[in-house]
Amino acid sequence: MADLDRLMNLPYALAAFQFSDRGELMSSRIADDCPLDDKALDLLCHMCVANTAIATMQARGWERITATEGFYPIDGFTIVGFEWSAVTSGNFGVVLPNDQADYQAAYDALAD
Amino acid sequence: MTILTELAGLPGVMAVGEYSYRGDRFSHKGQLDDEQARMASIMCRATTMSVHMQSEILGSFSTDCGFNPARGWIVTGPRFAVCVVANVFCFLDKTAASLNDVLGIMRTQLDGAPSELV
Amino acid sequence: MIKRLLIVDGVNVVCKFRDDGALVEGYGVLTEAEMGHLAKFAHDYKRIVQGNADQLSMFTQLRGWTPPAGWVVRGQSTAACSVGNLVCVVDVRLASLTEVMRELTELSHW
Repeated sequence: MADLDRLMNLPYALAAFQFSDRGELMSSRIADDCPLDDKALDLLCHMCVANTAIATMQARGWERITATEGFYPIDGFTIVGFEWSAVTSGNFGVVLPNDQADYQAAYDALAD
Repeated sequence: MTILTELAGLPGVMAVGEYSYRGDRFSHKGQLDDEQARMASIMCRATTMSVHMQSEILGSFSTDCGFNPARGWIVTGPRFAVCVVANVFCFLDKTAASLNDVLGIMRTQLDGAPSELV
Repeated sequence: MIKRLLIVDGVNVVCKFRDDGALVEGYGVLTEAEMGHLAKFAHDYKRIVQGNADQLSMFTQLRGWTPPAGWVVRGQSTAACSVGNLVCVVDVRLASLTEVMRELTELSHW
């Protein structure tokens, strides 16, 4: 299972967080120079859980109608924002600056 | 070279497409037929709209929110992933594709894409 | 005209919004700015519900979902209800959602 301190060791990580299945923030680490706070992270977690749910519906529908496999169940949602990205998988996530974001490394760390 | 051609040539990229924010127009390359590309466009358009609204909400709680406006999103399943930036989508086989390469090209090429039509 | 929705039990706010999400008129216990936010949310949410209903139709091959007439988001004590370009905020402990939706549907045709 991912742990927050290890996620914060990803290069340029701005924040790392753990959330419940409902999207409530359970724990977090926030870098000193990052303007995010726990309230913003809590909202971000809800957003990621909501989009994972929608994507799960889409994956289910897509696989049934195209008779393919490989999308369901959705295990991760990432938002690529204007300056930051939030990469989530399972019940953990990490915020990275877009310009330095190593998405693959983030997913690998979240899967560990 | 268009972005669709460039993305379609990357390892692990199964299909790419571009859709209009309003209406049903789309173009695509790769392993999707027209009907599948149409469905993919509908799904990606809907999620992009949601993500934009959600980013605005995130942004409304702080003046210094690096998520707003949203530029794209990624969903990942056991084997495949879908990456969307602006109105371009890309279906990937995770076992063969580099997420960083794909996202890097999408972010660079679509850097100035307008978002007011979302 | 939409002001009459405030007579319905439990309705605290009613707003009408334009197709671009701007507030046209609003009545009730919110400030003008708050009603502007409610109008924007209702407009965005309407499009999201439309998008999800389109996908449900696409995947189920059933037509009954689209176009969606309206939506209700129900919390523990408060709900937001919308039909067409109208949205209202109701106290679920006092309101009959059936009555609210019926009134919204009727007024949305005006």
